[in-house]
Amino acid sequence: MSSDTNKIENKEVKEVKNNESQEKEKEYTIELKNVTKRFGDDVAVDNLSLSVEKGTLTMLIGPSGCGKTTTMKMINRLIQLDEGEIKLNGTSVYNIDPVQLRRTIGYVIQEIGLFPHFTVFDNIATVPRLLKWDENKIKKRVEELLDMVTLDSSYAYRYPLQLSGGERQRVGLARALGADPEVLLMDEPFGAIDPINRLKLHDSFLEIQEEIKKTIVFVTHDINEAIKLGDKVAIIRNGKLVQYANSTEILYNPANKFVENLLGQDRSLKALTLKRTKDFISSENVITMSKDISEDQALKQLKENNQIVAFVLDKNNKLVGRYWLEKTKKDKFEINYDENPIMTEQNNTLNESLSTMFSSGEQLLPVVNRRGLFLGVIRLSHIFEEFNK
Amino acid sequence: MNLFQYVSENFDKILSLFVEHFFLFLFSIVITTIIGVALSIIATEEGREKVGKIILSITGAAQAVPSIAVIALVFIYVGIGKFPAIISLIIYSLVPVMFNATSGILSVPKGVIEAGKGMGLTKKQILWKLKIPIAIPVIMGGIRSAATIIIGTAVVASVIGGGGLGDLIFIGLKLNRPNALIAGAASSAILAIIIDRILAYIEKLVTPKGLKIER
Repeated sequence: MSSDTNKIENKEVKEVKNNESQEKEKEYTIELKNVTKRFGDDVAVDNLSLSVEKGTLTMLIGPSGCGKTTTMKMINRLIQLDEGEIKLNGTSVYNIDPVQLRRTIGYVIQEIGLFPHFTVFDNIATVPRLLKWDENKIKKRVEELLDMVTLDSSYAYRYPLQLSGGERQRVGLARALGADPEVLLMDEPFGAIDPINRLKLHDSFLEIQEEIKKTIVFVTHDINEAIKLGDKVAIIRNGKLVQYANSTEILYNPANKFVENLLGQDRSLKALTLKRTKDFISSENVITMSKDISEDQALKQLKENNQIVAFVLDKNNKLVGRYWLEKTKKDKFEINYDENPIMTEQNNTLNESLSTMFSSGEQLLPVVNRRGLFLGVIRLSHIFEEFNK
Repeated sequence: MNLFQYVSENFDKILSLFVEHFFLFLFSIVITTIIGVALSIIATEEGREKVGKIILSITGAAQAVPSIAVIALVFIYVGIGKFPAIISLIIYSLVPVMFNATSGILSVPKGVIEAGKGMGLTKKQILWKLKIPIAIPVIMGGIRSAATIIIGTAVVASVIGGGGLGDLIFIGLKLNRPNALIAGAASSAILAIIIDRILAYIEKLVTPKGLKIER
């Protein structure tokens, strides 16, 4: 099966080559050709070939020790290859001074490695300063990046020790994007974050990538993360490429038993991970109201519209609370206010929203973007419809 | 004669020994710091992890060696006078400086160094912008240890002609003059405390702000 997928790829590649070979060189921002790396007797990466298109997010996944991190680190020459070629926009990475090369590639690692003695500002400004950017340009860039990763500008002068794990991760991403590199290398960047914050980070990350469209190579050991985030997924085992295709292809046509096992038993449930919450947002029969409304007015609106839940938004459309009706005895309804309503982010998979619904006991969840702005709701009934298809 | 009378009568002499002691200290601490930190930087370069660990083992154990042993050995090979005294002070105080500098640099989080390297910092930049600033508190701790040790050891070094406040103390011992003894001992204690306070202040100055932050 893997050879079929690769055959299709090779065929496409050959056709394009027959037409315009120059076009083909440009298309692939990162190319690995027959790359091999040995550590003593151990072959860590075995004749691996991979091409990454411009503006796409490629996930490298496989079991511990399969060579995925080694592969990624050969792209910015933190590890030297033994055989083969690696090209960046058509030029071999060995034709450039390695230090200069690294300054054009963003790099994020699991530990993040923020410089503890530098402020957030100085951390993010690191590569721009190495490249001798003008200080005004740097200031603008840092502000832009803090906003992009949804950190208030007051964070600029804080120190890493004062930040939470999720905040550090966001600064790490901003730092990697400092000099606006075309390519990003990320090595299990969300590995050290707790599951709840990881979902939020996934969502932010996907939104950001949609805006900036970088060419990204992302290493993970979590198949769910790979399927959810990647435009394409490269499955690696014992240093060899097993399958390289988009998420749908991998889920529906796993190349072999190894890939099937990696995906796990619940593949049909995994199909739900291919769908995003934002594709199921509904605004029908959804009541929203401003903070200034009194409880009585809220109660009245809910009753008039025959709804049990209404969402409270501030003047910027940010979700700040929710009113809900509780049935007391004697057919009477009591109105309650929730300051921290359970919500789901637009890039969460259907799976993840479903999970949140089950754990919170709600059949309806408000959907927000990374800045907390209200986008609509998602209903349990819709998800079940999708599952039954 | 009571102590106060003794001090006021011999003030000039005590002061000149104090100053002599201070210069013995100053000369030694500067050389020890330069040599110690330089050797530690070399020992902790990438790919030399084993060397760093060996240094830590050796200097860790060497802290148990008594100062008189070092002084005696230097005496045998170099002789008497200020020069051998300084040599022995330097050798002896290299131990805490190298132990701390090596351990400080090695304890810089590996993630910080890897991130720096991956972002395109050169080896030199990694050393001077990342490793040293982050290791400064530990390195300064080593220098402060060395300072206190030098002041104390310089007293002992007077037996091989080093001079300084040790002379006062040993005269006091030999000629059974308690005033001299106390004056010498108290002066060296005072010197040690003053120097330590000055170094503590320097440490505060050179420690990067981000490392002093409370969570």
